[in-house]
Amino acid sequence: MSSKSETDKLLHNNNVGPIVRAGEVAEAVAEAAIIDNPDKEVTVEANGAYSRIYAESELIVTRETLQEELGRDFKMNELEINLASFAGRIEVTEDQARFYYNTTL
Amino acid sequence: MAIHQRNDWYDLTRATNWTPSYVTEDELFPDEMSGSMGIPMESWEVYDEPYKTTFPEYVKVQREKDAGAYSVKAALERAKIIEKSDPGWVTILKQHYGAIALGEYAAVTGEARMSRFSKAPGNRNMAMFGMLDETRHGQIQLYFPHEYCKTDRQFDWAWKAYHQNDWASIAAKHFFDDIITGRDAISVAIMLTFGFETGFTNMQFLGLAADAADAGDYTFANLISSIQTDESRHAQQGGPALEILIANGKKEEAQLKVDMAVWRAWRLFAILTGPAMDYYTPLEHRGNSFKEFMHEWIVGQFERSLIDLGLDKPWYWDTFMEELDSTHHGYHLGVWYWRPTIWWNPAAGVTPDERAWLEEKYPGWNARWGQCWDVITENLIADKEELTLPETLPLVCNMNQLPIVGTPGEEHWDIKVHTIEKDGRLFHFSNEVDKWVFEQDPQRYEQHMSIVDRFLNGDIQPMNLQGALEYMGMEGVAELGKDAHGYAWIEKVKANMKKAS
Repeated sequence: MSSKSETDKLLHNNNVGPIVRAGEVAEAVAEAAIIDNPDKEVTVEANGAYSRIYAESELIVTRETLQEELGRDFKMNELEINLASFAGRIEVTEDQARFYYNTTL
Repeated sequence: MAIHQRNDWYDLTRATNWTPSYVTEDELFPDEMSGSMGIPMESWEVYDEPYKTTFPEYVKVQREKDAGAYSVKAALERAKIIEKSDPGWVTILKQHYGAIALGEYAAVTGEARMSRFSKAPGNRNMAMFGMLDETRHGQIQLYFPHEYCKTDRQFDWAWKAYHQNDWASIAAKHFFDDIITGRDAISVAIMLTFGFETGFTNMQFLGLAADAADAGDYTFANLISSIQTDESRHAQQGGPALEILIANGKKEEAQLKVDMAVWRAWRLFAILTGPAMDYYTPLEHRGNSFKEFMHEWIVGQFERSLIDLGLDKPWYWDTFMEELDSTHHGYHLGVWYWRPTIWWNPAAGVTPDERAWLEEKYPGWNARWGQCWDVITENLIADKEELTLPETLPLVCNMNQLPIVGTPGEEHWDIKVHTIEKDGRLFHFSNEVDKWVFEQDPQRYEQHMSIVDRFLNGDIQPMNLQGALEYMGMEGVAELGKDAHGYAWIEKVKANMKKAS
């Protein structure tokens, strides 16, 4: 049985970031997350069908870095083809995707 | 010619509210349909959908998604996944398509309601894309199983299920009618897109995709994770609606809708995704347990986002967390026992190795559910299959429409039926939370008859299992659920007993 403190601990996290379908874009996003967030500890959990990529409170991936990683042109809205889910809130512009929480627990 | 960046013009082009002059605002957006709780149009204009798209972007991206899903299907057709997979995996496909495909069409109507009746322009705009998304989901999840119908009639339930009165169909329809077809626009935004789609669809469409990829069914893994990329976008319609309600003093009303939707989704997906992950998926292909997936997607991600929006944990949080260890084990036992009444073949999932896995993931499983499976196993070893088959109907909850289950103990089950007597009719509930949902709006729910109510009313004739199966829409033996492995797992139990002795 899960203890109450165990589930509360799972709830009290500030992890934000994309969950990306397995493939070259997932690999590029994981690399970009590390490059674009140098002050953050970025975690990548690959789970066969998807990769969960996250950091504390805010995580940004930029179009520029994604293009470098993929070696081709990439528009930010193309991320949607592989963005199966995300933790936190989302904000997508032409130049970057940002995942964040307003609150810190 | 330079093309303006989307951010330069997006807000202007989707500012489609105007001041009505021929009719009043209330006539343009009747509260029964808009669900705006008396909050005027101008207050809804601050609605800012976080995950934006435009029509040209949508068409281009969706084309890529479909091209990917259909080409993977075409490329892997020769892999003959149905013929080569473990029957436990194949049954997950049958269960999924029947329970989900036409529910997607129901979701089109919910998106359509938001698209017409939401007072928030951003909501109306995103819901138009949501309608197209859900049409895609309905069509693609009918197309993929269709080719299997010619060799296996149970796959026909992808189309049939929502047109029948099978108990599982009734449970699914009751839930989706409650959060989609029978709600106003803002309730749909909160209960369907936020309460359901940002939470439980991740369990069924991504958690299960992980198991599918492990089982080598890349077609299904690719399909359902592709569908979830649409959900990921249009599920974001609920968040800004919640924020507007909270800002306008309607937090209590918003919280109530979220709490009701989450609880109802939990119960349905406990019977759908729970057995699929912990019993049907072949042991060697299981990654996380159902409970571990729930921790990942629902506790760590969904409930956390709820707090960020300014809502609270549901009042039934402790009960919810306790149920992660128990409810789906009871449901699985019931589904397997009443197997002729469903359109898929449940895998028992209780070989010695599988029981060891269950004990590891759910300490105490053997002492609880294991003792029930001991009896079933002994009867099958003694060639008494008839004792493992149903002769009566189970007691069904008048809210979730699913059998009422408890946890077996050493001396007795902890089962407790919660009841309400109203106008001479007795309503039964699984627990205090289902009863609470009913009590929020009894008039909404009290006319509905559960499958057992219908049986006792004489609507099902003849009043026996055969009559019930016909009423549920079972056309011939080929459609009746049976043990996925034809009891082959009993041989593993026997071999283990021999080794032990």
